[in-house]
Amino acid sequence: MKKTLAFLLALAMVLGLCTCGASGAPAATQAPAAAEAPAPVETETPAEESAAVDTKILYEADDSMLNTYTLIAVNPEAPFTDADGKAVADVAVNTAGADALIHWMLSQTALDMAANFGMEDYGEHLFYVKDGAPVYEGEIAAATEETKTIRLSTTTSVKDSGLLDYLLPAFQSEYGYVVEVQSAGTGKAIAAAQYGNADLILVHSKSQEVSFVEAGFARVVEGFETERVSFIYNYFVLCGPSADPAGAAACASVKDAFAAIAGGKFVFVSRGDGSGTHTKELSLWPEDLGITAEAESFAAYTDWYTSANAGMGACLVMAEQMGGYILTDKATFLTFAANNGQIA
Amino acid sequence: MKIEAFTKTYGDRRVLDFPGMELERGKIYGIIGANGSGKSTFARVLAGVLPADRPGRKLEPGLTVGYMPQKNYAFRMRVRSNILLGGHDTARAEKLMETMQIAHLAGKRADRLSGGETARMALARLMMGRFDLVLLDEPTAAMDMETSALAEGLIMDYCRETGCALVLVTHSLQQARRVADEALFFHAGLLLEQGAKEKLLYVPERAETRRFLEFYT
Amino acid sequence: MHSAVEKAIQLILSADAELCDILSVTARMSLASSLIALLIGVPLGIWLGSCRFRGRGLLLVLNRTLMGLPPVVCGLLFYMLFSGVGPFRQYKLLFTVKIMVLAQVVLITPIVIGNMESYVSGLAPAVRETAKGLGLGHFRTLLLLTNECVYQIFSAYLLAFARSIAEVGAVSMVGGAIAWKTNVMTTAIMQYTNRGNFSLGIALGLILLAVSLLVNGVISLLQRRLSR
Repeated sequence: MKKTLAFLLALAMVLGLCTCGASGAPAATQAPAAAEAPAPVETETPAEESAAVDTKILYEADDSMLNTYTLIAVNPEAPFTDADGKAVADVAVNTAGADALIHWMLSQTALDMAANFGMEDYGEHLFYVKDGAPVYEGEIAAATEETKTIRLSTTTSVKDSGLLDYLLPAFQSEYGYVVEVQSAGTGKAIAAAQYGNADLILVHSKSQEVSFVEAGFARVVEGFETERVSFIYNYFVLCGPSADPAGAAACASVKDAFAAIAGGKFVFVSRGDGSGTHTKELSLWPEDLGITAEAESFAAYTDWYTSANAGMGACLVMAEQMGGYILTDKATFLTFAANNGQIA
Repeated sequence: MKIEAFTKTYGDRRVLDFPGMELERGKIYGIIGANGSGKSTFARVLAGVLPADRPGRKLEPGLTVGYMPQKNYAFRMRVRSNILLGGHDTARAEKLMETMQIAHLAGKRADRLSGGETARMALARLMMGRFDLVLLDEPTAAMDMETSALAEGLIMDYCRETGCALVLVTHSLQQARRVADEALFFHAGLLLEQGAKEKLLYVPERAETRRFLEFYT
Repeated sequence: MHSAVEKAIQLILSADAELCDILSVTARMSLASSLIALLIGVPLGIWLGSCRFRGRGLLLVLNRTLMGLPPVVCGLLFYMLFSGVGPFRQYKLLFTVKIMVLAQVVLITPIVIGNMESYVSGLAPAVRETAKGLGLGHFRTLLLLTNECVYQIFSAYLLAFARSIAEVGAVSMVGGAIAWKTNVMTTAIMQYTNRGNFSLGIALGLILLAVSLLVNGVISLLQRRLSR
């Protein structure tokens, strides 16, 4: 009896001292992941010393693989409807906060930071600033008690890339805002705004963005000309096993590479969740295959087409395990490869 | 005090059909009968813990009833605290504990007692209060001979002191002979015979009663 | 698994700030929701278990149905009610710890009620008979009954706490798993799993279990103490 008591007290003390003696390093859990021992994976080393993943980038920088990120401010006068479809008025939207954040993201400072993101860790650019992105040079409003909290709805890809964790602290400390980031699949991220739960969205799926604007949910932010403010972009990359049985790397265009994969029935892992990546992937298959987001459309191809319905990282792990091909954004892939098959 | 007539039926089985009677204060009524004859049911209906077929009090209003169930329940507290649930008089509690020979258990947790100790505690607990009618359902069933004798003495003193009408359900004919002033014989849910102890418990009128008594001789 | 244990220990020792925040939010939320569920559920459970009245059977069936309410459905309901277009939007509770606690209370209270009710219904007849036989009043009897249940109340609390700390469906919907605000252990584990970082997910899971073990240990000790 006494022994168990002593043991439990000791355990309590250890846990208490360790977890609550926070010597506040604001580093996210990147730190412990980087410190881990390498996981035992197949050793096909691209150019690094430690054992790495077998999957590598086979095709990139094709214009049809462009992935443009867009900020859209939510319109408080939008035709919001509740669950029953009835119109709802006086939906609370923090327009001042959304404006401030968009202004700041399009300021030269932020754009430079975004362009630099990833250089330190991977020696590669993960994001590029769009030519002709409207740089904002005006005043940015500081936070007030009412406008302090900004609700940003974005996709899991953006969140997982780490860009926001990199950019936002500067914005928050300088202007006094608190940005609450919700991340979900593209569809859900946009839906959050339509339910009045976000002040602005950051997504990368043009067709869905256009629908959003046309439905009246967007507004033009002061200092810009359109509702959709596209400011950065990056590329999707086609990754696959280093042996590349489909010969994707040697293809003339990415669409040819996809045709080669389909023709040879090589394993391909699809996001399958209606995300931006998924939408882009669907557009790259040969049309006569008829692959769409609907499950019936690829029912005949399930021996090689794997619809995972999972996040990017989980899909990459799957592709690694199965030795399959996969379309991914470069940022997530680099993080994945650098961490030996895991996402920090 | 008057007890109204009542019946108790379960489904289509009538377990008790009581014709009503008058009780006198200061008298001990012993209820005997075989298992299933309806004695406990009688006590429970009178105590108000079991509704009769036509629910409602079977006694005149304003009369207080004390009841000791057949299964003694020990609350999760010390023995002394259990007993004090029956009344606030600590001196009386001490005295009762001594009489029932559980004084040495006063500080012990009541849910850790043996069957016999629990029964002694339950009786002492009930004797802490004052009631117009007291119903005891086989109070000494779990007690040994020596303790039973103590309990019987306590019960008789209690009835005399407080002037209540005391109904004692017992399965022991000897106990009824020792303690009761009047006796009631229940058989198959009916009150077959009632009368003074000297008569019923020794020279009963009904054949069934005689047959019941034969088991003891 | 081995690397997951190493990771767990590394995480704890590094006193990672985000982990501390996650633990703090988890602690606040699960302690609040389990205690509130206990405060509401115990009296109701005792009452339901001891008093016979018309409609008791119906209430029991209702409670048992609510016990089986899927957390994600509960989360969805609250999300729709408190959403920016929902009828309760003026309370601005979406994506706060408060609404997470609220949703969990709705999920956990029926379980506490059911737990207490089944225990008390076995106990109540004997207690009531004895109490009535001693001439004790209705209120006094209920107090006595509650005293008889003290041990069980602790068990019910441990059940409530276990449910709240392990719950992910409702809290992820209504809380949004917002970093530094409404991210709890379970939603963090989900996030890492979805990203493919399985071993970090397991590491966090191990930490969660350790916390659970600690709380269970402490409460069980208290339980034994108070039942002495």
